[in-house]
Amino acid sequence: MNGRIIAFCCEHSAYPAADLAGRLRLSYSGDVRIIRVPCAGQVDVIHMLKALEKGAGAVLVVGCEDGACHHITGNTRAEERVRHCHTLLDEARIAGDRVAMYNISPNAPHRFVRVADEMVKTMEQTREAR
Amino acid sequence: MIIAERKPMEEIEQSLEAYKKVLVAGCGTCVTVCWAGGEREVGILASQLRLGRGAGGGEIVTLEATVERQCEREMVAEISDKVAEVDAVLSLACGSGVQTMAEMFEDKPVLPAVNTTFIGMPEKEGLWVEMCGACGDCFLDRTGGVCPMVRCAKGLLNGPCGGTRKGGMCEIDPEKDCAWVLVYRRLDKQGRLDLMRQYLVPKNYRAVKRPGRIQAAKA
Amino acid sequence: MNERIGVFLCNCGGGMKNIDFDTLGAKLGHVPGVTFVEPMSNLCLAEGRDRMISRIGEDNPDRVVVAGCSPEFQERLFRRALHEAGLNGQLLSMANIREQCSWVHDGDVTAKAVELVKMAVNRVRLLQPLEKEELPVRREVLVVGGGFSAIGAALELSRIGLPVTVVTREVSLDGSGEPQEDFHGCDINAMRSAVETDPGISVLTSARVVATRGEVGDFTVAITREGDETCGRYGAIVLATGYETGTCLAPGLNSRAENEPIGEASIVSQEQLSQMLRSPITVSRPGTIAFVFDFCDENSRFPTLATLSNALAAREKWESEVYVLCKDVKVDSEGAEHLYREARECGVVFLKCEDVPRITRANGRVTIEARDVYLGEETAVSCDLLVAEELRSPAGGTQTLSSLLGVRLDSRGFYQDENVHLYPVSSEKKGVFTIGECRGDLDVGRVLTDISSVVMSVCQLVSPGKIEAELERVHADPQKCVACLTCVRVCPHGAIRLSRVENGKEIAVISDLACDACGVCAAICPAKAIQFEGYRDDQILAQIEAIGEA
Repeated sequence: MNGRIIAFCCEHSAYPAADLAGRLRLSYSGDVRIIRVPCAGQVDVIHMLKALEKGAGAVLVVGCEDGACHHITGNTRAEERVRHCHTLLDEARIAGDRVAMYNISPNAPHRFVRVADEMVKTMEQTREAR
Repeated sequence: MIIAERKPMEEIEQSLEAYKKVLVAGCGTCVTVCWAGGEREVGILASQLRLGRGAGGGEIVTLEATVERQCEREMVAEISDKVAEVDAVLSLACGSGVQTMAEMFEDKPVLPAVNTTFIGMPEKEGLWVEMCGACGDCFLDRTGGVCPMVRCAKGLLNGPCGGTRKGGMCEIDPEKDCAWVLVYRRLDKQGRLDLMRQYLVPKNYRAVKRPGRIQAAKA
Repeated sequence: MNERIGVFLCNCGGGMKNIDFDTLGAKLGHVPGVTFVEPMSNLCLAEGRDRMISRIGEDNPDRVVVAGCSPEFQERLFRRALHEAGLNGQLLSMANIREQCSWVHDGDVTAKAVELVKMAVNRVRLLQPLEKEELPVRREVLVVGGGFSAIGAALELSRIGLPVTVVTREVSLDGSGEPQEDFHGCDINAMRSAVETDPGISVLTSARVVATRGEVGDFTVAITREGDETCGRYGAIVLATGYETGTCLAPGLNSRAENEPIGEASIVSQEQLSQMLRSPITVSRPGTIAFVFDFCDENSRFPTLATLSNALAAREKWESEVYVLCKDVKVDSEGAEHLYREARECGVVFLKCEDVPRITRANGRVTIEARDVYLGEETAVSCDLLVAEELRSPAGGTQTLSSLLGVRLDSRGFYQDENVHLYPVSSEKKGVFTIGECRGDLDVGRVLTDISSVVMSVCQLVSPGKIEAELERVHADPQKCVACLTCVRVCPHGAIRLSRVENGKEIAVISDLACDACGVCAAICPAKAIQFEGYRDDQILAQIEAIGEA
C-alpha cells in the first residue's frame, strides 16, 4: 500500500474535524486512511511500526489540543510515543519524519486539511530522498 | 526486582547478523515490570528488526513468544516448538533467563537483547533506581534501611565523604541524593542516631562465593 | 473463519454521486465471510432500519458492517437496531464513506470506498460481544463547602429530590462576604436559611473530609467532626470549596492597616471599601481614591467587577476623585461592559499601565507611580485611600481534598476541569464534580451556570438509581497481568486498582463504571495484558491489513 497515509484520529478531536471537512466539502489527498481511536493516547508505538511495515507512506497521530484532552494526558502520552517511535526508527535507520503527531480542535476542518496536505508533502520528500 | 535495559541497537543487530530466522523471546516477570523485555517490548523490537533489515535490503523472519518466567525450565519448555523453527533466539530476559534458555536449547545460539543492571524499584513511573547490591551480608539494620554500599556513589560504609552538595545531593552526581544524608535523616526520625557512631568493618565481598548456591531447608 | 458478515451500503439518499455503488457491492460480495451486501437509500430513517432488522432476520448474519455516513451520527442508532434484531450491539463496524471519502475527494472514489469498507469488514470479524448490566448507584450527594456555590447546589439538588449532605470546615454556612451587592437577584441569606431548614439536606459544620474510598455510584467518605468520625456513602461528590483572598502590593509596603482611621491615608481591601460604602454612618469622605488591580493576577473577573462597581459607588456616593490603574479592564462577565461605560461616563479615570505600579506612603498620603501606556510617560497619582489588588488563591485544604479524592489541580492550584469546553464542572474522576470559584476565575453569572450544569450532570448520573455499564470493555487478563502498577499509575480517571482474584493472585482490576474508555492503559501495559474491546491491537492491525487491497 505504497503512498497511503494512515491517520489515527481521536474521536474527540481529529475524527470530528475530518467529518466537518467533509461536510464543508473541503478537499485533501485521497491517500489518507483514517482509523478512529478513542484517544490519541491509545495509539501505541507498535501500531505505528506495523503500519510502516505494511508499507504505509506515512503515519499520523492526531489528537486534542494541548490542555484540552478529554482524558487529560492522552495527547501528551501520544506525543511521547511518537517521539519514542522516531528514536526506534532512527535505530532501524529509517526516516523518522514519516511518523508525526498533530494536535487539533474538533471544530478545525481547515487545519485537518492542512495537516493532511503537509503529511503528503513530507511523504513525497522522504520518498525522493530514499 | 531485577532491572534491565535494552542493549544498543547496533549490538543487537550485530549479534544477529548471521541469522535469518529468529525467535524474539520475552519474559513476563522482572523485565516486563521495568518495561525492558515484556510482550510489548518483544513486539516493538521484532518490528524494528524487520524494518531495519528491510531498510538494508535484507530480510529477517521473526517469531515472538513471551514466557511467564524465563528462568524456569518448565516454563521455557513451553516454547520449545518455536525454538526448533529458528536459527537463533534473541532473549529479552535478564542474564538468568538467557542462561536458562541457553541451557535448555544447547544447540541454538541464545543472544541477550538487554543488559541486566541492578536490583531496584520504581521511584516513579518509568524511573528505576538501584537499591540493592546483592552483597550477601545485609546491614540495613544499621543504616536505617538505606544501603550506602550501592546508593552512595563511592560505596562508603562509615559516613559521608564530606563533599555533599547543597540540598543533600551527591558530590559526584548532583542528580542523586547523598546516601549518607538519607541515612542520617532516617535514623534521626527514628531517634537512633547513635547507630552512626558504630564503626562498620570493611565489607566481606566473599560472603557470597561465586557462583552463588543456596540450598533451602527441605519443606 | 465461520463468521457471517452482513454488509449494508447506504447511499444517503443519493448524496454520494462519486461512488459507484454497483461496483462497490460487487467487490464486497467476493470478500470471504461476507454473507450479503444490501444496498440501501436511507438506512437511518424508520423504513431503512426496519429493512435492516428484517434482512438480519432473513439471512442470520452474526455481525454487521454499515457503510455510509460518519459513525459520530448514527452508530448508537444502528447498535440499537442490531439489538432489536437479536444481535449484540457491539458486533457492528461502520465505514465512513461519506464525510471521509465521497465528500472530500473529487472524481471517482469507488476504490477508496472499497478499501474503507474492507477495513470495517476486517475489524468486525474480530469484534467480541459485550454484555451490559445495570449497576446500582446511590442517590445521596455529598457537597463539600459552605459558600454560595455549595448552598446554591445543595438547594437545587434537594429540589429535584436527591438527599444531600453539606460538609464545611467553617462553623456555619457562609454566603455573604462578596464585595458586590448584586448577586444576580440571589438573596444569599434566604438561600442559607432554606438550606438549614430543608429536611432533605443535612448540614455538617466544623467538619472535614478525612478519607474516601470507592468509585462513582458508591463513594464511602469518612468525615470528622469535633473528634467524632462518621462514614457516609454517596453516589456523587460535588466540590464547592471556594477560594481565599489575599492582597498583593509592592514588596516592603505594609498591607492594609486595619485600624487606621479613615481620615488618614490608608490602604484598604475591596471588602473594607464595600463596607465603608454600605455604612450608613457618615464618614469623612476620601477626597481621592485609587484602585490597583490586574497586575499580580491576570485572572481577574471578580476583582474587575468589584473595582468597577465600587469605583462607581465612590463617585456617586462620595463624589471622590477616582483613579483606576490596571493592565486591562476585562469585561467578559455579564454586565461588566455596561458597568465600565457607566464608570467612565461618571468620571472615573482609567489609567492603563504595563508594569506593576510603585507604591509609597508619606505624609498621610499614598502615591502610586506607573508608566501610562497611552501617554507613553511616567504618571503619578496621589490619593487618600488606596484599594489594594486582591489576589485569589485556592481555599486551604484544596490540596488535601485533591489527593484524598484523586482529583487533579491545575497550574494555579485550582481544580482542573476535565475538559475546559465540554465538561467544565466534571473532574477527571467520574462522579466527582467541581463548581464555583474553586475552579478558578469565575464571576457570579458563571457560578450560577456551574450550579445548573452540575445539577443536570449529577441528576443524570444518580437520579435513576442505576447506571447501565458495559462489562469488561477494558479488561486486564489475569493470566498475563504481573501487577506492575503501570496502569494504576497511568489511568487519568483513577479507575484501576489492584485486587485479588479467585486464585488469590493480585492483578489490576478496571472498574466498569469509573473507566472512561480512553485506552491509555491498554497501550502502555508492558505485558499486553490489557485489551480494549473494539480497539484491540489485532482489531486495529486488521484495519491496516485491508489498506492497499482494492
